[in-house]
Amino acid sequence: MKVRHALITAANPVQRTLPLQILVDRDGVPRSALEIILREAAGAGIEKFCVVVCPGDETAYAEACGDLRTQTEFAVQTEPRGYGDALLRGQDFIGDEPFLHLVGDHIHLSDVTASCARQLLDVAEAERAPVSAVQPTRESQLTSFGAVGGKLVGGDLPLYEIDTVLEKPTPTVAEQELLVPGMRAGFYLCFFGLHVLDQQIFELLAKQQAAAPGGSLGLSDALLQLAGHRRYLALNVAGRRYDIGADYGLLTAQLALSLGGKDRDQVMSHIIELLGQPQN
Amino acid sequence: MSELIDIIRSEDVAVRNRSVDDWGEGKSFDELIAAAAELEAYRHQETNLYQRVRALFFLHVLHRYHLPRQPELGDSGRVPYPAFQRLLDRRFEDAIGVLLKMQEKQGANDTLCSALGAAYHALAFQTLANQVRRTVRSTRGNAWMFRMGHPTDQPLRVRPELIPQSAQTVSLPMLVERTAVRMDLTHCAWSDIFFLGMDYPEGARVLNVSIDLGVHGRDPATRPPVEAYFRVIDEPVMRLCSVDLEASVCIRDLEEVFDFGRDYLGLLKAAVIAAGIIPPGIERSGATLADLLGRTFGPGRGFELISNVNGIPKGSRLAVSTNLLGALIATCMRATRQIADLEGPLNERDRRTVATRAILGEWLGGSGGGWQDSGGIWPGIKLIEGKASEEGDAEFGISRGCLLPQHTRLGHDRIPAAAREKLQQSLVLVHGGMAQNVGPILEMVTEKYLLRCVEEWKARGTTVDTLEAILQHLAHGDIKALGAALTANFTGPLQQIIPWVSNRYTERLIAEVRAEFGDSFWGFWMLGGMSGGGMGFIFDPARREEAQARLLEIMTAAKRDLEASLPFAMDPVVYDFTINESGSTGALRAAPEALLPVGYYRQMVPATLRQSAQDLTAREQNDLAVFTQHSQHDPALREALPELLGQMLPSLSADTDAESNLAGLLRANGFDATQHEQIRQELRDGRIGLAMNRLPSTTKIEDLESRDLFNLREAPADYAQIGADALAAGELAIVTYAAGVGSRWTQGAGCVKGLHPFAKFDGQHRNFIDVHLAKTRRTHAQYGGSVPHVFTTSYLTHASTESYLKNTYEGAFGNSIHLSPGRSIGLRLVPTVRDLQFAWEETAQQKLDEQQQKMLESVRTALTHWARSTGEGADYTENLPNQCLHPVGHWFEIPNLIKNGTLQRLIEQQPNLRYLMVHNIDTLGATADPAMLGWFKSSKAVMGWEAITKRVEDHGGGFARIDGRVRVVEGLALPREEDEFKLSYYNANTCWIDIDALLALFGLTRSSLDDPSAVEAGVRNLGARVPTYVTLKDVKKRWGHGQEDVFPVAQFEKLWGDMSALTDAQSAFALVPRQRGQQLKDQAQLDGWKRDGSAAHVASLCDWGS
Repeated sequence: MKVRHALITAANPVQRTLPLQILVDRDGVPRSALEIILREAAGAGIEKFCVVVCPGDETAYAEACGDLRTQTEFAVQTEPRGYGDALLRGQDFIGDEPFLHLVGDHIHLSDVTASCARQLLDVAEAERAPVSAVQPTRESQLTSFGAVGGKLVGGDLPLYEIDTVLEKPTPTVAEQELLVPGMRAGFYLCFFGLHVLDQQIFELLAKQQAAAPGGSLGLSDALLQLAGHRRYLALNVAGRRYDIGADYGLLTAQLALSLGGKDRDQVMSHIIELLGQPQN
Repeated sequence: MSELIDIIRSEDVAVRNRSVDDWGEGKSFDELIAAAAELEAYRHQETNLYQRVRALFFLHVLHRYHLPRQPELGDSGRVPYPAFQRLLDRRFEDAIGVLLKMQEKQGANDTLCSALGAAYHALAFQTLANQVRRTVRSTRGNAWMFRMGHPTDQPLRVRPELIPQSAQTVSLPMLVERTAVRMDLTHCAWSDIFFLGMDYPEGARVLNVSIDLGVHGRDPATRPPVEAYFRVIDEPVMRLCSVDLEASVCIRDLEEVFDFGRDYLGLLKAAVIAAGIIPPGIERSGATLADLLGRTFGPGRGFELISNVNGIPKGSRLAVSTNLLGALIATCMRATRQIADLEGPLNERDRRTVATRAILGEWLGGSGGGWQDSGGIWPGIKLIEGKASEEGDAEFGISRGCLLPQHTRLGHDRIPAAAREKLQQSLVLVHGGMAQNVGPILEMVTEKYLLRCVEEWKARGTTVDTLEAILQHLAHGDIKALGAALTANFTGPLQQIIPWVSNRYTERLIAEVRAEFGDSFWGFWMLGGMSGGGMGFIFDPARREEAQARLLEIMTAAKRDLEASLPFAMDPVVYDFTINESGSTGALRAAPEALLPVGYYRQMVPATLRQSAQDLTAREQNDLAVFTQHSQHDPALREALPELLGQMLPSLSADTDAESNLAGLLRANGFDATQHEQIRQELRDGRIGLAMNRLPSTTKIEDLESRDLFNLREAPADYAQIGADALAAGELAIVTYAAGVGSRWTQGAGCVKGLHPFAKFDGQHRNFIDVHLAKTRRTHAQYGGSVPHVFTTSYLTHASTESYLKNTYEGAFGNSIHLSPGRSIGLRLVPTVRDLQFAWEETAQQKLDEQQQKMLESVRTALTHWARSTGEGADYTENLPNQCLHPVGHWFEIPNLIKNGTLQRLIEQQPNLRYLMVHNIDTLGATADPAMLGWFKSSKAVMGWEAITKRVEDHGGGFARIDGRVRVVEGLALPREEDEFKLSYYNANTCWIDIDALLALFGLTRSSLDDPSAVEAGVRNLGARVPTYVTLKDVKKRWGHGQEDVFPVAQFEKLWGDMSALTDAQSAFALVPRQRGQQLKDQAQLDGWKRDGSAAHVASLCDWGS
């Protein structure tokens, strides 16, 4: 199984400019958030990209793709009908191939040599199964993410077989439903904004959309169904995700990029200088 | 391994269920001591919680019942003060350590045994309670709330549907949760106690029915009796309002949320915390409430939570408060997405989550209920059963059962619609009016279960079978058989396990209903912990309507007759009920339906109207607009208008009536206003007070030696003969103190202790007065001669005691039975803050468990504020007149006999009369024992005092050598708390009096008794020689629907024991057996009193005549 395509969703109408924001990457080069995301996928071996955008955003997004402009296509979500519906807009581009799915408001930084996307693709290709990247997340942030429950597969990798998926659960529900042996109390495996999926997810999404036409379509319910149908895995990737749509998310992402890159000392000195200034 | 440890650990059910009493039969002293030592060592190394607890109960039983029966056990010992302190501080393990060391030193004795028994008992319950709490905290779905420590950790977000769209909205969107209450159709033999369910899940089964209620004759239809309202408001505060308790609060400070005793809104606060909106982990974090609320509701926003109960009084045994807590939690959880659906019924997972949170809420609020109590959250009829713990459960490996049971809803396939209809057509549900604390009953049940007491264990087995039978009868719609099974359950196994569940009131109701309705009365059913409150009477449907009307009359008449002797909190009520088939149900209301309960507007609108229009918040403007709009066409709101306007005007009439009643009572009962003012001034100036009750710190206090006392067990034979001759000659009269209401006995309920039918003798409930007269009857039968019996009374007890004696002892009353009415009275005062602090901080106090202690401390802060704001030393008049007055101590009882002419009449009637035996109403073993009379007569003393060896529960003074003189000393007069623990002998408060010698002490003779001025002068002069004590008493104030508050008030007393300090009056002292001298002060003692043979002993002293 070789994954060559990536599908990026960036059609949230209230955050449509987020992927266009300019960040300075680890090498000290200013790039849009979208370009950083695309470059991560390209570095992992992805050859073609599709970005799902709001109507009218194609031009601005095309400019934000940088060097990868030629390998990138755009699909338009004409009405804001949910995350799942956005994915469905990319179905024609993907066809029958397995694909890497990224979200347009998450930047990933790997703790190891292999990028987060590459770590995930290695597992998907080895296990021949859909796999989502997850990260242990404090319960106080649960209501911002989809979360999974399941059991450890065993072996060298922190790989889990998923049996439950819940979208933004309260900790009350999470404690009862999202059991993961070995997880620290108060932490849950939450989505990382990176998935390797295949055409079956489109079938499930389409069925759900047909069952409730006109409603908002999420992804978590389809992922839960996927777990019921076949082996569906979660990898606790060695890396961190930065949600640039959260409060101070862009700032945090920039700091993480800079502190992990060549300008670390320069940024550190700026921070120390700021910390030393008296508070008004 | 010893046999007892084998019983605890055995896998064989027959061995494990063997009773410890059965094992102890015929065991020697040495065997018992050895078994206790083995159990003590075993419990420390046992890791299984329930086995450890069982070992603790076994140790309790050995020390409380088995060892004291052994003749080899030493009588007299002392409880070391450090052990007592540790007991009060709830450091039971430490206390046991100190006591066992002392036992090694002193040898085993009755005193240490009693202390060890109490410590083991308390440690067992502490261990169980801690385990339940730990399980509640670690239950999945609850644990996260204990980890939260900062507002930014708060993960809950309000649903957008509840956010007000604009300040101009006609009314704010609100959530309404309506919840049923529950009735337990089997009476499960209290198997829903958490400890039972967690140790014996297979025996924990109940048939639980959710019901809607209405008060018969008041409400047009039944409805879910419990409602909770939730709405988001544009203020960063938490507003709580209880419509039924007429209380509301606006909370701005986070710590106030955790202050449960500060106001009447503790239940609502517990709900908010248990629902996670204010998670328990954030307490004392230093966070602000506005920040925390901002995370969930958005900056600058808060919420309002309102509770409403459909006029159901406290003590209904329908688990109203647990289901209200459930409704409040459910609505808060819906609002914050913790429950999947915003509207409609709950799903099973959500119901279980709410039930677990309700348990958490009850723990936080310091209360407690059974695991079936939240049954109203579920719909219809359900079988609730204990669930064995399995791998993955928080309880697995710790207890055999889970904290939360499993609920099986019995659909129409199991209980057909026709059967449900028949049940509703036959059952008359009532509240009898009694409200009692069932806590002691639940402790007794737990203890008897863990000990597998033989008869009680058999009875428990029977109740399990009864459930099956009841289920079958209900399934077949055979309500008559159901009624018979319920009656058999009440009269059989339930009373076998706990005899105290029945009472004279209940039995009278059953008898009268049976007499009137004959075969149409199909059965009686007790709800909850004990009878007298919530009860069910089952009738032939053809006569149910008639029965509803008649039951109210029968209950009302019985209450009128018995209200002086039993603790009634309210008038009886008959309910209408229907089975609720939906369970707890939520609804989102927006304008124009978003109307709050009428009582809410009644409570809030007057305050709103007092403000000027420009000061009103958007919420207040909205509420006024909604109220105005709806009151144009809603009759309930229109009816509330006059009352609402009335509330805006000051009202004087009710207060004026109460004050004039009080003034009348004071006049009628010889209140000395001059002396009262003097006492008030001295109290305010600090010249008298709790600290001043004490003897100087330089006083030398020594314990008595055995030679200081005559020992009745060693009485020479001629004493009995001398006494018998004196009795035959009519030389003795008995005086029983019956002037007090026994505030400890009825926990301040204000009924007459002497008239309380506390136990069955000879097949009937008898009161204390009955028992004393039955003993006197036996004395008369045995020795001949007349023994007049006098009961002293006060304004509180005279009328009802007189009425009872006249009706029950018609021939004897006035001849051999006399009343000595009180001639002194005091008016209670608001205590000084100094005395409150002394009582709470300087004297040893029983520490409660963590949450209850928090509640207590918060209540104490409120009481201190009350004393300051009402005025220290001010007259206490904010209660029923009877609760404002106080008797002035038993010193006055004997002078009263002289002042009111009773003694003179006795002497005229029986000129041979030379002696009095005076004793407390609760000293049930006190008899006119001829050997005691012979001893006293031979001693030539003015007064003879009876002592018993001390047990840990005997507080309040004793016998001591004070500065070289042997005397009775009150505990409150001892210079230091620990002095009391130097004393080996406790004052039984039974005093023998030589009439002529005592009269001489008063400066009187038999012939001067008819000279009022000589009598007055004699009493005043002698009274001046005995000290006056200031004491604090807890007084209940009742309000609303059976709600109660307890206030500590100051009063004054002179005590008879201080007569032994008079140097010109010779006193003699005698040691009597415990069964003769022990007193029954607390209803929680009754079970032990029966089990240790004391009840049988008292019965053996009585002659019930024909």
